[in-house]
Amino acid sequence: MRIQFKTEGGLVYLPGLNRPVIIDLADLPLPEAEELQELLTLTRFFELPPRAGKFSAKAADHRQYKITIENAAGDSHTVFLTDVVDDPNLRRLLDFLKKKAAPTAKKK
Amino acid sequence: MCQRTYHRRSIFCILPPYVLSKISQNGTPQQRTKALTTMATDNTLRALRLAQVPLRAPSVLTRGVPVEGQKQRTIYTAYHTAELPGDLIRKEGAPPCGDVAADEAYDALGATHDFYWDIYDRNSIDDEGMHMKATVHFDKDYNNAFWDGQAMVFGDGDGDIFNRFTLSLDVIGHELTHGVVGDEAQLQYFHQSGAVNESVSDIFGSLVKQYLLKQTADKADWLIGAGLLTARIKGVALRSMKAPGTAFDDPLLGKDPQPAHMKNFVRTFEDNGGVHINSGIPNHAFYLAATSLGGHAWEKAGRIWYETLRDKQVRPNCGFQRFAKITLRNATRLYGSNSVEMKAVREAWNQVGIKAS
Repeated sequence: MRIQFKTEGGLVYLPGLNRPVIIDLADLPLPEAEELQELLTLTRFFELPPRAGKFSAKAADHRQYKITIENAAGDSHTVFLTDVVDDPNLRRLLDFLKKKAAPTAKKK
Repeated sequence: MCQRTYHRRSIFCILPPYVLSKISQNGTPQQRTKALTTMATDNTLRALRLAQVPLRAPSVLTRGVPVEGQKQRTIYTAYHTAELPGDLIRKEGAPPCGDVAADEAYDALGATHDFYWDIYDRNSIDDEGMHMKATVHFDKDYNNAFWDGQAMVFGDGDGDIFNRFTLSLDVIGHELTHGVVGDEAQLQYFHQSGAVNESVSDIFGSLVKQYLLKQTADKADWLIGAGLLTARIKGVALRSMKAPGTAFDDPLLGKDPQPAHMKNFVRTFEDNGGVHINSGIPNHAFYLAATSLGGHAWEKAGRIWYETLRDKQVRPNCGFQRFAKITLRNATRLYGSNSVEMKAVREAWNQVGIKAS
């Protein structure tokens, strides 16, 4: 299972941080892979509508997150979320993906 | 009255001072002593009350009654969750709460309100005294600040790429101006109308800072978000109105993509069609007009742009060309058809590749 996670929007456009991050379930350590699998089941990700967070037409500089998941059968589903998500499981999924995709300027 | 054995303050008693005065003159010796003691206490309390008036909160009679131009700020903290609005941490009139981000947001909301009120007679975001609300400490390591349609939301930054967003007065002015734009012009938040929306927010965000610092156009830094990038990042700010495209150039973040001229206009579906990218063009036009006119940028160039924002000819889908034309029309209306101001605005748009006339 492959997950493509992309952060869009925000107060400034930063080309270097605008690239999608690919997360392959097979590459994750087992506890993380299990957690992610559980979150996808709990959120019933493939049944979610295309936009699942709170959106206001008057909002500006807000972020949205594009999540595309392709399962082993080749089915693909894309969902856009904002930072304000009511469903606690969807919130956990977003937090998980944001953490995995977080960039760093620290020298390793 | 006052029949209990412990001392009662006369101000809480029904008996008025003039009756006490009569008793002190005509009562028995015992009644006179009690009346004089009560009157002395009463006078002391009344004097203290008068002396403390300036330090007290608005009286019950005036509290809650809107006064034109009066600020109404409320700051919440999300305690590093993504719950909005969070818990109340400071409200209007309260002293600093000690939370740096909350106190910065409170002060910056005040500075933005004062700017709009002092210069443009605008009473808060909606010109009707709208309550200004902000949430600080949103989410964990959150590298953003946004306007949610009703209130401002600020992250603390991750400390690695970004510092806390309440550090920047012009960013807070920018977010509040999104509220003003939403109230006046409802500019659609994509493509050119979105870039005009972003540009207007940058312009008045910068003017809020310039007004607080009492800077003339030639002394201002014309940067948006100076100090927000950490020392690890090669950059000075998020955007530069003076020199779009030069705010940052960093291995992690990439290079500031803002153009300063229509010949470099970026056609993209990213960033809502380039709203934070192509805003560099109208931003630079404003900078050129303001520095050409000299003095305080909020007085002439700012007035022209403000009147344009309020102009009913600015439709939700207003692009650069139309917006430029309306600035020119407002410059003419305010200063005359052959005025220095009108010519400066026309020339500024010309220099970024937009024929406004």
